[in-house]
Amino acid sequence: MDVRIIHFYPDLMSLYGSYANVLALKRYLERLDCDVTVESVLPGGGTDIAKGDFFCMGAGTERAARAAMEDFARYAQPLKAAAGDCAAMLFAGTAMDLIGKTVKEADGSAYEGLGLASFTTEHGKRRIVGDVYGHTDLYPEAVVGFMNKCGVVTGVETPLLTGLDLGFGNGKERGPEGFHWKNVFASQLTGPLLVKNPKLLETVAAAIYARRGKPLPVDRPLDRWAEQAYAVTEEQLRLRAQAK
Amino acid sequence: MRKLFAIIVCKLGHFVGKLIGKGSSMPGKFALKICPDILRRVELPRHIIAVTGSNGKTSTVEMIAAVLRADGKTVVYNEEGSNQIEGVTTLVLTHATLGGAVRADVLLIESDERYAARTFQFFHPTEFVITNLYRDQLTRNGHPEWVYDAILPALHPETKLILNADDPLSSCFARGREAVKWFGLDKCSISADAPTGAYHDGAYCPVCHAPMEYDYVHYNHIGAFRCTKCGHKKPAADYAVTAVDLEKAVVTIDGGVEIALAFRSIYNIYNILAAYSACRECGVSGDTAAAVLGNYLLKNGRMQTFRLGARHGTLLTSKHENSIAYDTNLRYIAASKRDCVVLVIVDAVSRKYFTSETSWLWDVDFDQLNVPHVKRVVLAGRYGNDLAERFSYTALENWSVETDIAAAAAALKSAGDEELYVVTCFSDRDKILSRVEKEG
Repeated sequence: MDVRIIHFYPDLMSLYGSYANVLALKRYLERLDCDVTVESVLPGGGTDIAKGDFFCMGAGTERAARAAMEDFARYAQPLKAAAGDCAAMLFAGTAMDLIGKTVKEADGSAYEGLGLASFTTEHGKRRIVGDVYGHTDLYPEAVVGFMNKCGVVTGVETPLLTGLDLGFGNGKERGPEGFHWKNVFASQLTGPLLVKNPKLLETVAAAIYARRGKPLPVDRPLDRWAEQAYAVTEEQLRLRAQAK
Repeated sequence: MRKLFAIIVCKLGHFVGKLIGKGSSMPGKFALKICPDILRRVELPRHIIAVTGSNGKTSTVEMIAAVLRADGKTVVYNEEGSNQIEGVTTLVLTHATLGGAVRADVLLIESDERYAARTFQFFHPTEFVITNLYRDQLTRNGHPEWVYDAILPALHPETKLILNADDPLSSCFARGREAVKWFGLDKCSISADAPTGAYHDGAYCPVCHAPMEYDYVHYNHIGAFRCTKCGHKKPAADYAVTAVDLEKAVVTIDGGVEIALAFRSIYNIYNILAAYSACRECGVSGDTAAAVLGNYLLKNGRMQTFRLGARHGTLLTSKHENSIAYDTNLRYIAASKRDCVVLVIVDAVSRKYFTSETSWLWDVDFDQLNVPHVKRVVLAGRYGNDLAERFSYTALENWSVETDIAAAAAALKSAGDEELYVVTCFSDRDKILSRVEKEG
């Protein structure tokens, strides 16, 4: 199966090792014998959304995100159409802010997001950082990650993580986190989410297959280092959550 | 009266703290509770030099102090490393008379970059050295632009800035200011044509976000940058390293001042240059500065040599969560010529706070170890599996995992005689140093 990954603004939106999500998905699919192409979209460049199987953007600084949005806005209609057609997408860190309705900056100024979702983000002067241990309806295993943001998100009705045992969610401590609709996965959790959470990687891969009308193959690759790393972090964060 | 009481409490607290091996920030904390504006009420030296930045603060401050003292100046500085307002208060008050006068020619302050504005709300430096600004402890600092915004209010209009001309972000501090001196490296033997590393923070202009171009770089995105749109570019340096000879371990400043390097690292070169620039701005001659900085061995213990069985080892302390610090040490290993084994330890991500955050490993360019003389890489510590996952995406194949640090050390001790490089952080270095025979 040919798979086309479209990676928006890999240099501009590159904080916290976000690019590793693309590497992890590419390798996972290649181990399933997919022929994977990764297309990087730069500001001022262009891409044909209709040809993409997976769309992603990583975390950037608040200024970088705003600069990215100036270019990203022109993909609003085709991306919304692709999302409605169950295309798989991952927006991590500040990239999640950009798919919402509006982003209000700490200085009071505001700009419009993609409008793929109806939530709004309001940036403040306080940095919200910390480990996150939460749960999703997508699979039984816990989701681990790290929050590093200055924004509070309101208006999400279908979060990616339905509850947190540790850490700050969209709008409050231990509140729901992220956004999930069809095959759009968005989270303000930063960094290589798909590396840290092998089950989420599998879920995203399954979404790509499902859009092609295929189930994920039964014989799937097992990345033992990622699994063992997940096990260590999951235990550490679970114990931390239980101690609180 | 509160001022006197605060000074006495701070001095007593510091004395007691020293007896029990603590006390660099707590006495200042008590003093600030007694007299919150104590730093406004004291009489400070004519020269107040502050140093901040993502990397090189401690080393640069240590070298500035050594040069100024060699020039006959009395210098007070936070050797104990506490670099937030509490530590600075301890420093100032323990060196003050009961009347509140700091009897020194120079007050030299290493300042935490995020808390500099708080530290300098009651007084301001005459010179402020900012070494660089890039990804560092993202779990604490957010990101470099967040830190930039935190430092900005700390820069008083009357303060002379001493800035890194090669750093696209920290060079922005000069915008709208006249009292700025620049230090930087000219194109030289160690320059590359384009930015290096696992990510490219110099891809876009920090001012207008248009694409940037580089004439050359010295490491990562530090070099001769040039915005294609707004004109933000590397300024001409007032103090420039004009030649680097790493074979002979010598740098030349301003075409004539030669300084021998005790440690052949690009970081060391920048730290030396920053210290040299600051000292020159304080009236020290180039010759005096060069005499002290030549072959200067840092006392902060970030590089230590040791023996482990038949191996000679070198610890290269690299801050976890700081990819450029890692990159620089990996570059040092890659540039060495002798066959070696590298031990990378990530056990406690931080010594100051709990986190399981390992995203920063993806920012480190471990592919630099893909050179013939690196015979093997051992990945150790609680997060050894995370390291392994990261390494599985590199071109390296000669790596293995031993999460138990003691077992990794024992295995390295029992077999082999190649040079051993240990790359790890302050939080983890004693876990290996306790198992080796340290050299002087």
